Amino acid sequence: MSDGKRILMGILLWTGVITLAHSALNLNWSVLLNDRLPEDKRKIYVAYIPVT
Amino acid sequence: MTDYISAFSQSGNLFIPRMFQGFPEIKEALISNKMQAAFMVAPMAIALRAQGVPIRIVYLGHRYGSAVVVRKDGPVKTFPDLRGRVIAIPSRFSDERLIVFRALKYFNMKPSELKMVEMAPPDVAGALAASAIDAFSMGEPYPSQAEMAGFGRVLFHARQFWPDYISCVLVVRQDLIDKRPETVQLLVDGIARSGLWLERGRPYREHAADFVGRYYFRQNPALLRWALTNPIDRVMYTPLAPRKDDFNLIRDLMLETGVLDHNIEFEEYIDTTFADGAKYKTAWNYEPGSQRAE
Repeated sequence: MSDGKRILMGILLWTGVITLAHSALNLNWSVLLNDRLPEDKRKIYVAYIPVT
Repeated sequence: MTDYISAFSQSGNLFIPRMFQGFPEIKEALISNKMQAAFMVAPMAIALRAQGVPIRIVYLGHRYGSAVVVRKDGPVKTFPDLRGRVIAIPSRFSDERLIVFRALKYFNMKPSELKMVEMAPPDVAGALAASAIDAFSMGEPYPSQAEMAGFGRVLFHARQFWPDYISCVLVVRQDLIDKRPETVQLLVDGIARSGLWLERGRPYREHAADFVGRYYFRQNPALLRWALTNPIDRVMYTPLAPRKDDFNLIRDLMLETGVLDHNIEFEEYIDTTFADGAKYKTAWNYEPGSQRAE
């Protein structure tokens, strides 16, 4: 494999790892999926602040 | 509470609790339908409804649980000592501000004799410790935080000037009430049952302090334990059905103190249907440490 291909593979691998890590750590999938459901099937968001 | 209701309701996981750090952000999220329900201070809910925002108050979050706190070693020993000093409140549209007005009236003082500043609840104890403010009027657990840390002293609890004091209420968007009333009823039923469960005694409150502190408020459970048990009636979770006289008092104080520009009737901002539906609910059948609740 040429150096160019190795570098390209490395970049693609790195991009894939970062994308996966970002998806797992930073995206709230339950919220994203909930927002795509029909309105009558969605879960209800209830806001609160940390007081009694 | 909402997570708990979700986890143990027969209808499945219906509610997603979202923590905010201040009431203005909750207000915006509710208006933009990012949140369909919210716990917020009663005057803010009344003001929003008066401004035409399609929401209704359906239940209370708790009773009592607010206090005015000063520095333990500071010069303020009585309420009149606050003349010319700075007191933090969570919002202009809060019951904690109205308590200060009640105390001002009691001591024959004018509002201009105090400087009230709005501050996010989690910031007030630190501000008092650093002497950036002279006092704060806030809901629990922030009075407890200042007491536990040793620098704060409760000057008075809300009930001293307001016997049936209420602060946070459950607000729901009107479209949710219209389209999914059974979901709103489930939420209110769950809050009613949780309130009754908390009133079963100290071990239940201690257990609630432990899991709410760890998993929801991200606070030291010992702090919530203090707030919920010192004394045991510091915050009460019954009765939580909205009562006309309580809300008329809040509305009148709002009109008097300039945060409401026109009268609004109880029936316009409250929907008692769900409180009536929850009237005969009983406490969760759940023992601390168990994996099941019914």
